[in-house]
Amino acid sequence: GIPLIALALTLPWILFPTPSTRWLNNRLITLQGWFINRFTQQLLLPLNLGGHKWAVLLTSLMLFLITLNMLGLLPYTFTPTTQLSLNMGLAVPLWLATVIIGMRNQPTAALGHLLPEGTPVPLIPVLIIIETISLFIRPLALGVRLTANLTAGHLLIQLIATAAFVLLPMMPTVAILTSIVLFLLTLLEIAVAMIQAYVFVLLLSLYL
Amino acid sequence: DLDKMLFFSQNDELLVQLSHLHTSPNSQAPVPALPEKGGKTRHGIIPEELFQLLYPKTGVTGPYMLGAGLLTYILSKEIYIINHETFAAACMGTVIIYGVTKFGPDVAAFADKLNEEKVQKAQEVKDLAMTSLAQAIQDEKKEQWRAEGRQMLFEAKRNNVAMLLETNRRERVHMVTNEVKKRLDYQIALQTLHRRMEQEHMVNWVEKNVVTSITPQQEKASIAKCITDLKVLAKVQQAKTTA
Repeated sequence: GIPLIALALTLPWILFPTPSTRWLNNRLITLQGWFINRFTQQLLLPLNLGGHKWAVLLTSLMLFLITLNMLGLLPYTFTPTTQLSLNMGLAVPLWLATVIIGMRNQPTAALGHLLPEGTPVPLIPVLIIIETISLFIRPLALGVRLTANLTAGHLLIQLIATAAFVLLPMMPTVAILTSIVLFLLTLLEIAVAMIQAYVFVLLLSLYL
Repeated sequence: DLDKMLFFSQNDELLVQLSHLHTSPNSQAPVPALPEKGGKTRHGIIPEELFQLLYPKTGVTGPYMLGAGLLTYILSKEIYIINHETFAAACMGTVIIYGVTKFGPDVAAFADKLNEEKVQKAQEVKDLAMTSLAQAIQDEKKEQWRAEGRQMLFEAKRNNVAMLLETNRRERVHMVTNEVKKRLDYQIALQTLHRRMEQEHMVNWVEKNVVTSITPQQEKASIAKCITDLKVLAKVQQAKTTA
């Protein structure tokens, strides 16, 4: 077949032109700039000043993941975020960073988050264990959530497309399957929302 | 950065090399203008220039035939194989085209609105500055006119004050003359009094001296004379009445 890898390597660069030094830009740059501004504004709302240092990292992470997932929806592409290794590689360091920074700056408050308020006294030991478990399971959850969602989506697309393709000689079923695939595709373009969830959960773990 | 601020030019034919434009910090040259709209495309993807390129040789249907031929070639020689991914691609394409055609104009209008708002804000500032400056010019002219008028006002006021001073001076002069006259009258009265008193005194003295100088002898002689005079007069009178 055609070396589509060439297309896959070159075409995505068109999507994000370098922000120009002009004051008024073309529509694409204006829209991207507006989107980034809104996103960063929303992201930084609950944070105090120390959290603002994470703005660049989180925004670029968001853009990275959105691009990866959206481009992965095109037919002959490979989505890196379907691999657990990449997602864990993103999740564990970032989560660990939030925990360590929290511990370093205000250790008592960071440890204090382990115990919700107003628990009856006998439950405290059990609750601390449970909270610790939930704390440590967070990176796992982040990475695996992303991986699982994307992999599942891609897999479903592939399977249903194959089924529809095989059933093409026998017409009617194909129509129904087509509609299902279409619907699934639109849902899958809520891969973007996945990224929102990812970054947002990452943000929530910022008790900086 | 006013030297980087740019308003749209009317020239659509100008294409811009964006790759090395003002990336070093020393460049001061003005940035060339961007075309106002993007390049024209047909069906959203294929630029219009391709059609213009092929028009002289192949007419209107040229590029379409080229596309159809290419497609047939690719499919027949199995350079591109139809498999299940084609199906997925077709569905994805449908979704994308549907989304673009439905929401495209709205998004484009939104982007244009963002730019418009930016321009409008700057324009407002500029307009506000201009109106305030024009207003300032008007006020300045009015102040100048008022300053001229003030000259006349000063003249009138100066005249007023001069008149007041003159009136005051004349009143005082009157008063002075009156006072002086009073004093002089007083002196005159004093002098007339003196003279009258001297006269009276002299008259009294003369009378007194005359009276005292009348000696008894003179007194007797005068009385005798008076008596003889009276007798004479009586005789005359008697003569008159009996005559």
